[in-house]
Amino acid sequence: MSESSAALRPPLVDGNRRPGEVTQDISHSLEGRPSWLWWVGLGLSSSLLALGIAAVSYTLAKGIGTWGLNRTVGWGFDITNFVFWIGIGHAGTLISAVLFLFRQHWRTAVNRSAEAMTIFAVMCAGLFPLIHMGRPWLAYFVFPYPNFRGPLWINFRSALCWDVFAVATYFLVSLTFWYIGMVPDLATLRDRASSGLKHRLYSWLSLGWNGSARVWLRYETVYLLLAGLATPLVFSVHTIVSMDFATAILPGWHTTIFPPYFVAGAIFSGLAMVLTLMLVARKVMRLENYITARHVGSMCKLIIGTGGIVAMAYSTEFFIAWYSGNPYEQFVFMNRALGPFSWAYWTMVGCNVLTPQLFWFKKIRSNLVLVFILSIFINIGMWFERFVIIVTSLHRDFLPSSWNTYIPTKIEVATLLGSFGLFFTLFLLFCRFLPVISMSEIKGVLHHGRPHDGGGR
Amino acid sequence: MSRNDDKQYRRSPEESGHDAVEPVSGIVAPVDRRRFMQLAGFAVGSAALAGCSRGVEHGVMPYLIRPEEVTPGKPYWYASVCGGCAAGCGILAKARDGRPIKLEGNADHPVSRGGLCAIGQASVLGLYDSRSLRAPLRGAVASDWETIDGKIGATLDEVRAGGGRVRFLTDSVTGPVEQERIGAFLSRFDDGKHVTYDPISVSAIVDAHRDTHNLDAIPGYRFERAEVIVSVGADFLGGWISPVEHTAAYRSGRRLDGPDWAFSHHVQLESRLSLTGSNADRRIAIPAGSDAPIIGHLAERIAGLAGSSTPWGTLPPCPLPDDTIAGLALRLWSAPRGRTLVLCGLNDPQVQVLVNYVNELLGNYGSTSTETTLDVESVSMQRRGNDAELHTLLEELDSGTIDALFVRGVNPLYDLPGGERLIDALTRVKLVVSFTDHPDETSMHAGFVCPEPHFLASWGDSEPIAGVVSVRQPTIRPIGSTRPLLESLAIWSGQPMSAYEIVRDYWRRNIFERRLNSATFEDFWNRTLHDGFARVRRVVPGGFGATTKLSGVAIMAPERWSAPANDRFALDLYPAPGLLDGRHAHNAWLYELPDPITKTVWDNFASISSLAAEAAGLVTGDVARIAAPDSRDGFVELPVLVQPGQDDATISISLGYGRLGTDRFADVGPKWLEGHPTIDAGETIGVSAAPLLRWVNRTLSFAGRHVQMEKTGLRHQLTTTQKHHTLEIPRRLSMSGETHRAIVQETDLAAWRADPHSGGHAHHDLATLWSEFPRQKHHWGLAIDLSACTGCSACVIACQAENNIPVVGKDEVQRVREMHWMRIDRYYSGDDADIDVVHMPMMCQHCDRAPCETVCPVQATVQSSEGLNQQVYNRCIGTRYCANNCPYKVRRFNWFDYPRDDRLQNLALNPDVTVRSRGVMEKCSLCVQRIQDAKADSKTTGRELQDGDIQPACVQSCPAGAIVFGDMNDEESRLSHLKHDPRHYTVLAELGVKPTVGYLTLVRNREET
Repeated sequence: MSESSAALRPPLVDGNRRPGEVTQDISHSLEGRPSWLWWVGLGLSSSLLALGIAAVSYTLAKGIGTWGLNRTVGWGFDITNFVFWIGIGHAGTLISAVLFLFRQHWRTAVNRSAEAMTIFAVMCAGLFPLIHMGRPWLAYFVFPYPNFRGPLWINFRSALCWDVFAVATYFLVSLTFWYIGMVPDLATLRDRASSGLKHRLYSWLSLGWNGSARVWLRYETVYLLLAGLATPLVFSVHTIVSMDFATAILPGWHTTIFPPYFVAGAIFSGLAMVLTLMLVARKVMRLENYITARHVGSMCKLIIGTGGIVAMAYSTEFFIAWYSGNPYEQFVFMNRALGPFSWAYWTMVGCNVLTPQLFWFKKIRSNLVLVFILSIFINIGMWFERFVIIVTSLHRDFLPSSWNTYIPTKIEVATLLGSFGLFFTLFLLFCRFLPVISMSEIKGVLHHGRPHDGGGR
Repeated sequence: MSRNDDKQYRRSPEESGHDAVEPVSGIVAPVDRRRFMQLAGFAVGSAALAGCSRGVEHGVMPYLIRPEEVTPGKPYWYASVCGGCAAGCGILAKARDGRPIKLEGNADHPVSRGGLCAIGQASVLGLYDSRSLRAPLRGAVASDWETIDGKIGATLDEVRAGGGRVRFLTDSVTGPVEQERIGAFLSRFDDGKHVTYDPISVSAIVDAHRDTHNLDAIPGYRFERAEVIVSVGADFLGGWISPVEHTAAYRSGRRLDGPDWAFSHHVQLESRLSLTGSNADRRIAIPAGSDAPIIGHLAERIAGLAGSSTPWGTLPPCPLPDDTIAGLALRLWSAPRGRTLVLCGLNDPQVQVLVNYVNELLGNYGSTSTETTLDVESVSMQRRGNDAELHTLLEELDSGTIDALFVRGVNPLYDLPGGERLIDALTRVKLVVSFTDHPDETSMHAGFVCPEPHFLASWGDSEPIAGVVSVRQPTIRPIGSTRPLLESLAIWSGQPMSAYEIVRDYWRRNIFERRLNSATFEDFWNRTLHDGFARVRRVVPGGFGATTKLSGVAIMAPERWSAPANDRFALDLYPAPGLLDGRHAHNAWLYELPDPITKTVWDNFASISSLAAEAAGLVTGDVARIAAPDSRDGFVELPVLVQPGQDDATISISLGYGRLGTDRFADVGPKWLEGHPTIDAGETIGVSAAPLLRWVNRTLSFAGRHVQMEKTGLRHQLTTTQKHHTLEIPRRLSMSGETHRAIVQETDLAAWRADPHSGGHAHHDLATLWSEFPRQKHHWGLAIDLSACTGCSACVIACQAENNIPVVGKDEVQRVREMHWMRIDRYYSGDDADIDVVHMPMMCQHCDRAPCETVCPVQATVQSSEGLNQQVYNRCIGTRYCANNCPYKVRRFNWFDYPRDDRLQNLALNPDVTVRSRGVMEKCSLCVQRIQDAKADSKTTGRELQDGDIQPACVQSCPAGAIVFGDMNDEESRLSHLKHDPRHYTVLAELGVKPTVGYLTLVRNREET
């Protein structure tokens, strides 16, 4: 490694690892016994998951009445959690697909886990539309399946139907993309596997990968195509989620700004969640050499950008409310800022508008503990953003006689915690059984074997 | 069934002739048509019920051969008389497969004129109350009639032999036959007396008219003829005497349809904000009990205007400014003679004499044929209570000289103050017999309880207005072993007869005599049963025939009224809007019916003004101790409610709450982790305010007692269905400074006369991207006249009964999850001193461009080809998006399954309407089952649908006729005319959702002359 190149562009992988060492570093954590930290994490998250399962079972047994919803506020924690989790997923796709297409090589260290996060977040998200239904056992009604009832079709005008397609597509494409990208690594694990079951499982999953040039060629093509396919989804899914609200006539929901606002917000929240997870995984899985300060810095900068868009959207909403002259619209925004839920609104503004501004400072960006804390603030802020949009618009709408409030029940809180339990349980299992860093890709960005003239990109 | 095998069956009205009664003997003929139908209906019903809870019930009889004239699934209607209160509204009871499921006002009946109040509507639920007594009690133990009759008979013989005193204590008995039979029963004793009292007494009005007009009744109030109405505390649209009748009359004096419109000027002086006050054109708050000096000063002013002099020298000072009284007097005086009406709600004979004097000066007394507002011919016989006689009885009881006491329709240990002393007195009576249908405070101390069947299951009659008689006919066999009073009396007199025979016999002997036409008795009887009433010769109660002229009674100056001292309040006790005097305390529908003014449910409370609350440091929900310092046990503890429009010196408490046995409602509503029971075991719903009642000059006094209020530091959750009470948004939440929401259009009469569009705000032609829906023949819609709606809430219960709407309990209402498909939004405006109230019925607006329809992912809510917005329960998966997107928030979600706490009440379900399961959305359907029914009828009979053939439950029940349903495609329909009325508007028209439910601008008669 030459001094000059290092000064120009810091290396993507620290520690001057060789390919063999990379394989060793990454596979090692899958082969040995898990650390006590992992067990503690799994214990905590599976307890939360169990709590969530209990809460959801209770809801299914008793009815939606176990939530704090009422005739004025028909959605609360349920859809807030849905939009929150869907948003979390977006950063994963952005990192793995969009940055891949833009040839951002720094993404290689984080793309696998970011994508895993996407998959798990979408799974958490998908849970909520299902359980928020009064009769979830009839959820298949939302699919346009052939039938003899007329035929009876779904309502293609309803944004909720678009949502079904958007989220299902997103999940399937992300899952395929993630899996295809993992095939070479699964083959590596297969080759290293000692026990019969492990070997058989990894062989089955690695689809007969033999490492030949032809296989590599086809793999690269498929991966590129899937990246191309996934890229528009980053924008379409949250656009459609935003239409769940934008196509309503409710002031505070009925806004054309929602699609870009939601997409930016989704990426913003997703990056925060990636940071939260990466900083923990880095420490727990001892991947300091692969997930470097440079990655963290890049993501902080992206957060500043997307956070700026979000802040812009907040102010635009107020401006348009005033400019439109629509008294109902004006009231909704004044009520957000100064009404009974103003605490939620100002939590949101504090977390989403003020927090990212701290990332302008390099000192803060490079202080990983601080970055971790701030990323959690953004996660909280983005959850509140959805809560504010949904609940404050609903609780005081047109007729003052219907004005009302919303107080979540313990069951709802437990369900939210349960979704975090599900997410972290899945993520910890992923860390344990699948390579968290793409070995095949990271080898492509090592210094090793490159001329000492500034390679390393 | 089997328990009733020894019961006698009362014959159907249609079948006259042989009056033999025969025991039911299994399947052996002869079982006549009607009996077969009733038996089979009940058997199927009870079997269905048994299927819900227990194993197989034996004795079910299927229809092998269909009984003649009975079409399963087709309702039958029986004309009868409502027994919900003493007003005696004519009803039509709808019976399906042998069980009555819905009551509606009889459109021809002179009292109800088609409307029926919430209480009447709800009383069908009481029929299926499994907690009502099913067998006679001896003490507290269930017994059988033979034993009971033996014991009572023996005691009565003893009493008669000893020349003992027998008293029959009842509420107003409006049935002539019962009145006569009680008299006949008592005549067998040396000292027998029938004492009548009304727990919500208006006996002072009768007393005053006995003095002034030789009239032993309440005159007929002809609100429709009044041009100026001044009511001092009389809540004539709410709980006063005959609200349905008064509402209909009041509204026909205030209508703006066509060139012959009329609109009376109504001034209400009252201490609490009553339903009537909320409809008044002008409302003045006065301290409770200050009616006397106000009426006195009004009398003096009017006498001055009339040029006569008042028979007194000086008057006590008036609590109102002089010019207010002068203005009122002038307003009354300048109206045509006989076309004004002055009313007073104070139960004080002396004040009522003054009221009569004022009305006399204004020329308001007349006969049915004159165009005056007080009718001494077609008088009201609805209230016959006599407080003085009750007082005498209490004295007699105290002295222990009564030997037998029969209590029917009243509950003296609950109704009257001084409970403990009464219990002691009762224990000294040899024989106490109660006829209550639920164990109550009095029956606990009665030796025998002889429960009567529900009024829908027994024969009787009524004469609510002199000259208008009705027969009450049963629509179902009594459930359980209950026995009508008439039969009990007959047996105890040694002449057992069925109630049917007794009624017919009486009618043959007495009522038929008074007939105006009809040749034979059978004709007359059948005609009456069919029509639900008959007009007969009037017999006006009173010694020598009532006069329209004031007799020479001494008109005295009212006694000095003392304002409560600074830390004291004047007390005002009033009947609960749903429970009245507590007689409906077992009806869950009425508990969950929001109070028309405060919108509270499941509780009573002490209303205080905001000024009083501030002074006492109380907020709504704080429990206060309200005590009368002049009495040891005269106190209650109950939550306060800060009520706009309340007089600053008055505390108002509703009677009727705190009844024994209401802890049964602990089971109402869903049970889950965070749910709270409506009531804890052993508690009662609300608190009885009867300890604060008092006797003044042998009259029950409801208003004016001076009380103290103390904070207790406790809290009690008061649950209201509406949380924001005005159309104003908080000023600090307004960007433009504009705070008013133009949901309700209002104007005053002068402005309306100048411009019928006044009060409206022009909408530009609203562009739309939508194409018109293809419409079939009909386009249904509603028009609701805000000037006509009084807010009485009859429609809310009518809708509940018609559409199988569950009761959800207090906790669920607190969580804003009540299920009523229609609600009445109540908005206040103005300040406390001069408050305006708007009642706005709100149900699904059946938008042509319904926002709920576009957002449902599964098309569970769709537009019908006739303009209805339909909810398809089978298809609904419960995303609730439709409810979120509804600007009117009229959609109701089934948060839980809502099984009835009382499974027997499932028999009151309407089989034409689906019972919705958990997880689906529901809402007003404009009673689509009625529309379909009428269309099917029209198809089978070939008769074109006529305007008015279809009446949704709310439209049908409205005593004011405020809601009109019709076909907007029919240019000649009443609805189409209203849709073209300049007053017509739709709520939130600017959203472009095109509601088919419209409203007519509220007009207030503020014109001062």
